Amino acid sequence: MSDVIKLNKLPERVILPLKQHDGIACAPLVKKGDEVHLGQKLGDCKGSELAYIHSPYCGNVVAVEARPAPGGKSVLSVVLEPVECTEAPEFVPEKEAPPSRLMEIIEAAGIVEYYEKPTYKILKPGPLIDTLILNATFPLITRAYLPFLDKVLEGFQLMLEAGGISKGVIVLRADDKESIQAFKKASLNGKPLPVAPIIGKRHADYYFEDTDSDLIALVAGKKTYTPTMMNLLSADVMGRSLPLGYKPEDVHLSICGIKSAKAVYDAIKEGKPYLENAVTITGAVNNPKSLFVRFGTPVKDVIEACGGYRGEPGKLIINGSMGGVAVYTDEVPIVKNTTGIVVQAKEEVLRDEAMPCIHCARCVDACPVNLLPGRIAVMADCGMYEKCGEYYALSCIECGECAAVCPAKRHLVQLIRYSKLQLQKMNEAKNAEVIE
Amino acid sequence: MTQFTISPPPHRRSKISVKSLMYGRIAALLIVGAASLLLFGTPALINILAAILGAVGTELVIQLAFKQKLTISDGNALYLGLLLALICPPTLPAWMAFVGGAFAIGVGKHAFGGIGSYMFHPSLTAWVFLNLAWAQNMLPESIPITSEFSDLLYETGAGFLTDVSPILIILTGLILIATKFIEWRIPLSYFLTTVILALFLGEDPSYIMQGTFLLGVFFIATETATTPVTKNGRLVYGILCGVLTITYGYFAGNYLWGTLYALLLSNVVAPYIEVKTLPTPLGGVLNE
Repeated sequence: MSDVIKLNKLPERVILPLKQHDGIACAPLVKKGDEVHLGQKLGDCKGSELAYIHSPYCGNVVAVEARPAPGGKSVLSVVLEPVECTEAPEFVPEKEAPPSRLMEIIEAAGIVEYYEKPTYKILKPGPLIDTLILNATFPLITRAYLPFLDKVLEGFQLMLEAGGISKGVIVLRADDKESIQAFKKASLNGKPLPVAPIIGKRHADYYFEDTDSDLIALVAGKKTYTPTMMNLLSADVMGRSLPLGYKPEDVHLSICGIKSAKAVYDAIKEGKPYLENAVTITGAVNNPKSLFVRFGTPVKDVIEACGGYRGEPGKLIINGSMGGVAVYTDEVPIVKNTTGIVVQAKEEVLRDEAMPCIHCARCVDACPVNLLPGRIAVMADCGMYEKCGEYYALSCIECGECAAVCPAKRHLVQLIRYSKLQLQKMNEAKNAEVIE
Repeated sequence: MTQFTISPPPHRRSKISVKSLMYGRIAALLIVGAASLLLFGTPALINILAAILGAVGTELVIQLAFKQKLTISDGNALYLGLLLALICPPTLPAWMAFVGGAFAIGVGKHAFGGIGSYMFHPSLTAWVFLNLAWAQNMLPESIPITSEFSDLLYETGAGFLTDVSPILIILTGLILIATKFIEWRIPLSYFLTTVILALFLGEDPSYIMQGTFLLGVFFIATETATTPVTKNGRLVYGILCGVLTITYGYFAGNYLWGTLYALLLSNVVAPYIEVKTLPTPLGGVLNE
């Protein structure tokens, strides 16, 4: 816990991509040569799914241009030359705000979930939401927030209040003992927070009735629910699995991360916009740890704060080694949905050659959503996309388990992703025909 | 400036490869083969070498002739040749074992498209070929009966090379299952079905518990390319293998032939079992 520190050293350059969520990109509010102060709004956007960009540093705008972003593409970014802030920033919290006002504050703070959706959008997505799930199954990230557990819980309650959601569930990993202990000690309005395991068919609803509390923490299996694994999360925690093409809100659920709970607290109780979060650095660095990093800080500087690369780096992976993106430069910035950075040394980088499938069915045994990944991949390879659809390719959650266990080292995830893309295009074309 | 590799996820994979799977199986079969040398001596060794030579040599020739990538080092041809030698009697002339190995790879494997693409087990295909071509030479001198426990350990009335030590096949097979080189569903359902049906029909288990049957349970039936990939499909496949083994064995009176022909027939049905046992994804599919 004590090793979670805040990265305060000023980087040489700060790069703030103007699109850090899944939606419409922001338009820059500043131009080259402008002076910006801490918390100033740099990007504005209009539309239904938006997240404003604020400056986490004081400094001067050096350029507004396309720069590599951690998603792998180049995105229009505001580049700052940071300086020490001369005057303390003024953040004014609002007291006694009604739920509608809370929502506005959350929207204005530009808070984004770990899966790139703006937080205000998931609190009121349209259909009635009865339960908000806080996904705390990233053990290192959860541990980084344990010192602020009170704030996280309060932020979570504020989210429930803002969205008018009656119940909240915090999901923990079973092997993350440290976090479980901390949540057991936590109190909620003077009462202890109920912490319970998920056993068999005893899902969240059972414990809501059992404990008489509207907010509980549940210990799930030894699984980290990555952004694409919504279906699995809602099935495991609530017992509500999502049929093909359904979103969590269709079964009255919303999912948020521990980072946004803390960010909501900061926004409402301290008046701060979303400026920093915890990032875990693991792999081939000299001193792997979790850090609080302000957005826009290049990965290079974060690695430096962890003692630099150990040996010659071969691969830099943003957001986990199972589903993350390998980036081509360490100049990419930390953005709102960055959770972890994995560094692989040169000799650790995989250099496998794909072989023909031997139908060993390891992918079938590994698949958490009961698909036949090998079969779908073969058909995607041949361009038989309708057939992929018949084998439920669209239900794939892209967790990467199948490709990880494949003895023939086939590129199952990409092939399935490709077939999903083609199927979506075909569906769009079909819908367009119907409208005509 | 540091150069970074970019590649699609996952960035971490298990160390098991097709090659390691093959060599795991080869190691197990070599132990079984070594036991047969104790009883049969040099002819068995020569047959094993001839079959392997035929298999690996054919693969080499085919891949050179068609300018394909050489894959003899992945162990698949070696494994198939070794397996074929184990289901032949030691009295088989070595040149026939060589032809059998060549047939297994040339027709059984590469004519169907190479590794993973064949629908019949290549070693079984070659076994049937040898049986039809030189029926006299493929007849074992005796049909083994494991009436006592010591027969399971060391069967002196063995017919095929593999029949010498059934207990070794069980042990190596269980080790491969425990280390996840072989998946447990097919061996379990195949073995249980056979035993239950045998008890039901009042068949003497000492005729069934022989090296060939156990080799079929642990090694031939689990040949990945010729089995369904669905979880339920594998259980059904094992049951089918068991039913056919008992059917052939009960009416033909010989579980060596019974097992091998039953497995060949099951290979034919495997794709049908697979499409009939497609799993529904988690959450199901609505509006269809």
